[in-house]
Amino acid sequence: MDEAFAVDEREDHDVVHVAVRGELDVATAPTLREHLYAAADRSSGPVVVDLLAVTFIDSTALGVLIGTKERCDELGIELRLVVDKTRIIKIFEITGLTELFSISPTFDKAAAR
Amino acid sequence: MTGLHRGSSDVRTLSEPVQLSIPVQSDLILLARLTAATVASRAGFDVEQIDDLRLAVDELCVLVACGSSSGRFNLTFATNGDAVEVICALDVSEEDGASTDDHGERELSVRILDALVDEHGEEYDDKRQRGWLRKRKVRHEAL
Repeated sequence: MDEAFAVDEREDHDVVHVAVRGELDVATAPTLREHLYAAADRSSGPVVVDLLAVTFIDSTALGVLIGTKERCDELGIELRLVVDKTRIIKIFEITGLTELFSISPTFDKAAAR
Repeated sequence: MTGLHRGSSDVRTLSEPVQLSIPVQSDLILLARLTAATVASRAGFDVEQIDDLRLAVDELCVLVACGSSSGRFNLTFATNGDAVEVICALDVSEEDGASTDDHGERELSVRILDALVDEHGEEYDDKRQRGWLRKRKVRHEAL
């Protein structure tokens, strides 16, 4: 059984770390959007979205990430993603989104960029 | 699921299509993905192809729903030779508009389907929205 969808947030100096787990689809996208937009709005530094424990992602969740990126751009802050699963990276690649997002394989690498 | 039999290549194919009817409710699309994975597994798809079909069926449902939150998805899963074919139909009773932010998500869905399946298509009219896809099993050559 896949791990249930959940979002955990913490702040480390000026970096907001949002760790997401479970399946990201049309059912969970609205909650994901709430968390990510709120993180962007209160952050003064980079927002790092950790997708290491994500087991499934579809176009609606990708749309949320694109919306968050646009919001971060408006606010003048960076959005960085942490992805290490080949399966999830494949979805970013086939949609051409590796060009849009800053993607790192670990949180430390993403935070240090 | 009914009518399963063991095929000549030791893969259980479907002698009859599997039909699934679910309300258009975001948390129930999971059932379409689960069915897709089961049908793909029985058709002898490998793990990556099963994951591809799960995502493709999810995207097909998202495309066909087109923001609707009423009605029912009527999904048909069938095997045809070495391929799995899926049809997703939705009778539309009322237009209630898109329910998600549109950050080019339809375009993303189409790109994902283009990459993951061999053929797909969608058709819409005032009363019905329908999409279909076909994914063939990739045969791996022995080393």
